[in-house]
Amino acid sequence: MSGGKVDIKVVLLGKAYAGKTSLVERYIHNRFLGETVPYQNTIGAAFGAKTVTVNNQNVVIGIWDTAGSERYEAMSRIYYRGAKAAIVCYDLTDKSSFDRARFWIGELQKYEQGCQIYLCGTKFDIIEDNPDLRTVSERDAHALALDVRGENYETSSKTGKDIDKIFTKIAVDYLASKTAHKNEVDADIVELRKHPKKHLCQGCS
Amino acid sequence: MATEIREAEQNASVSDSDSGQSDFIETNEIPGKSSNTLLVANDSFEDLSYAELNNTIVASPMGTINSLVKKKAKRSLSLPEREHVEDTVSESEVDDSEVETSEICDDSQVDMIEARVTELSLQETTSQTADAQIPHLMTNTDTDYVNSPEWKRQKKHIFILSESGKPIYSRHGNEDKLVTIMGVMQALVSFVADSNKDTLRSIVAGDHKFVFMTRDHLTFVGVTRGKESTQQMFLQLTYMYNQVISILTHSTLTRIFKQHRNYDLRRPLSGAEKFFDNLLNLMDVEPGLLLTSVRCLPLDSNVRDIVSQTIAQHAKVKDLVFALIIAQNQLVAVVRMKKYYLHPMDLHLILNLINASESFKAAESWTPICLPKFDAAGFLQAHVSYLDEECQTCLLLLSVDIEAFYTLSECKAKIQERLIKYNALAAINNSLKRNSYSIQQCSISDLRHFLYKSRSTAQYTSPELEAPYNTKEEKERLFGLYYYLHDRIHTSGRTLKILFHVGAYETLLGWVTTGFELYAVFGPLVTKMSAIHAVNKLLRWIKKEEDRLFILSSVTF
Repeated sequence: MSGGKVDIKVVLLGKAYAGKTSLVERYIHNRFLGETVPYQNTIGAAFGAKTVTVNNQNVVIGIWDTAGSERYEAMSRIYYRGAKAAIVCYDLTDKSSFDRARFWIGELQKYEQGCQIYLCGTKFDIIEDNPDLRTVSERDAHALALDVRGENYETSSKTGKDIDKIFTKIAVDYLASKTAHKNEVDADIVELRKHPKKHLCQGCS
Repeated sequence: MATEIREAEQNASVSDSDSGQSDFIETNEIPGKSSNTLLVANDSFEDLSYAELNNTIVASPMGTINSLVKKKAKRSLSLPEREHVEDTVSESEVDDSEVETSEICDDSQVDMIEARVTELSLQETTSQTADAQIPHLMTNTDTDYVNSPEWKRQKKHIFILSESGKPIYSRHGNEDKLVTIMGVMQALVSFVADSNKDTLRSIVAGDHKFVFMTRDHLTFVGVTRGKESTQQMFLQLTYMYNQVISILTHSTLTRIFKQHRNYDLRRPLSGAEKFFDNLLNLMDVEPGLLLTSVRCLPLDSNVRDIVSQTIAQHAKVKDLVFALIIAQNQLVAVVRMKKYYLHPMDLHLILNLINASESFKAAESWTPICLPKFDAAGFLQAHVSYLDEECQTCLLLLSVDIEAFYTLSECKAKIQERLIKYNALAAINNSLKRNSYSIQQCSISDLRHFLYKSRSTAQYTSPELEAPYNTKEEKERLFGLYYYLHDRIHTSGRTLKILFHVGAYETLLGWVTTGFELYAVFGPLVTKMSAIHAVNKLLRWIKKEEDRLFILSSVTF
C-alpha cells in the first residue's frame, strides 16, 4: 500500500500497550489522552498524515499506527510494505516489549530492506519520575539501534519529549536519501538532450 | 377489527397450512414489507438447531471472498506479465515492485498467514508446556473465587473453553481462576460424548439453565437464571461463536487446533475480550439480536435516498462489497455489490465492532473482519471512519482488496463532502438527537412498548423505553417479558400464531405471521378485545410511518 499523496510512509510497530497510538496522537494532534481516557487497543491499523517543512520543502508523512495484538501480526506486512521508515516502539518500563522490538526488527530486515529503522523507547516521563522503573537500559537499546544502522530515541508522549525530533529526522533522512539517490543516478547518466534553440521564427514561439 | 383477528385465530386453528392464510392483513399492506431485499431474511430463529452445527462450513476455495478475488485475478489475466509474476513470486520474497500487482497479494497473503500461524503455535508449545499442567491442579484460590458471592450473584455467565478444557473466555471474573470449573464443564461434555455417543445440550437445575454448544474444537457454555429459554441461550452462544470467527476466521481456527489441540486461544484473541463483553451487554439491551434483525435510524426516505445514492456514486470502486453508514447501533444506509447480501447476524458483528471500540474515533482505520455468514473462511478489509466531529455517524467500506485503503480513503472524503453539502449529515444528527420516537406518537392508549419485525426485510422497529421502563431493573424485566413471549411463540414443535398473556404487571400480545412478528406490551387491565383493537391500530400506524422506519429499497453499486 503506497499512498497517492503521501511522500513518506512511516509505520509504527511494537508490542501492545507500548504507546504507539499515544505517540501518533501527540505528533499529529499534539495532545495526550492517556490520563483521561482508559487504554484502548488499536483495531487493525489507523492511518494519519501530517505535512512537515524541512529545508523549505513540504513533505507529507503518512503514518500507519498498527495494532500490537498478536493476531494482527500475520497481516502486518500489508501495513509495512513499502514503508520508508519504521518506528519500532518499546516500553521503557517493560522488558518484554523490548524483546518484541527485536522481533519486529527481524521482520523488517527480512521483508523490507528499504525501510529505515528508528528505535523508540516510550513512557520516558515514568522513568524520569522514578528511575527504578526502567527495565531497558539505554546501552542495550543503543546497541540494538547501531546493529540496524538506526537511531534510538527515548520519548514521552505525555510531555512531548523528542516526538517531533523523530519525525523531523525521518523527513530529513528521506530528503537526503532522495537527493543522494538522484545524484547517484545523475552521475551515471550522460545527458543527450539538445539545448533547445531559442528564437525560432515568430510563428512557432 | 376485533372480528378480523378472531377470524384469523379461527383460520389458524382450522387450516393446517401456515402459509399466510391466517394473515388478515392483505400482503401489500404488511408494514415495512419489501421484496427489494437488502439483508438476508430467510434465516429464522426456529431454524437454529444443533443439527446445523454438523454442517461444516464450506472450505476456502469455494468461499465468497475467494470467488471475488478469483474474479479479480481473471480480469488481470489479460496482462501476460502479471501472470508471470504470479508464478515467480514466492511467499517469502516480495520486492518493492509488487506494490503495483495487487492481484497476487491476496493469495500470497493467505500463505503467509498460514505460515505465521504455524510459527505462532510452535512458539506456543515451547512456552506453554509448563502451564498445560494447571488444569489438573485444584488450588484453593480457584475454589474460593468460584464461591465468592460476587461471582455467584451474576445473573448470566458465558464461558468459552477449548476442547482440551483450556479456558478462553469468561463473562465475569478472570478465566485464569476458573480453570477448575471449566475442567468440570469439559468433563461433562466429553462424558456424554464418549459414553453415550450423544451431545450434551442443556441441564436445568433449579432456576438455572446450563446450555452447551460444541463447535470447531470450542465449547461454549451459557449459564443463566434469567428468562432466556435454552433455545434463546443457544442463539446467544451462536453469536459468541460468530464473534470468534469474525476475529480469527474459521479456517485459522480449525488450522490452529488441528496442529495443537492444547493451544491457548487467548493469545490470538488478546485485546478482543471487549468484543465479547460488549456483544453480551448488547444482547441484554438490544432486541435486534434476539429477533435476528436490525433497527434503522428513523429518517425521511428522501434523505435516506440521498445518502445511499451518494455512497453508490462516490464509492464505485471495484472489489468494494458493502458500504454502510451506521449511527448509535442503528442502520442508516447500506449499499451492496450486486448479488451479495448482508446477513443480519453479520451486521450485528459489525455494529458490535464499532460499538465496542473507541479507537476508530481517533483516525481512519483499516482492519480485517470476517463475516461468518458471508464467508467464514476469509477476511474482508474494512475501512472505518467517522463522518462527523462528534463521532456518531460511522462509515464502513468493506472490500476484498487488501490494498484498497487509499482509494477508499478518497471515496470517504468525497462521500463526506457531499453528505455535508446536501445537509444529509445534519439530518442524521437531528434524528439521533430526537431519540427515535415515543410510544405516545402512536396514540394508542395503554400500549406501553412494542417490537415489530418485518420478516421480509429483517428489520425491526420499536419505540424508546419510557416510564415505567426507565430504570435498569424495569428494563431488564421488560426484556424478560419479551424473552418469554418470544419463546412461547417460537418453541419448536408447537409454534403459535397469536398469544395473549395476562401477567401481574403487564398484558402481553404476541402475533406472528409470514410477513411480520409483533410483540406488544400493554398495561395490566387491558382486555383481549381492546388489545386486539390496539395492535390493528398500531399496524396501521407503522404502515403509515414505514418509509421513515425501514429501509425498503436496496441500492447496489
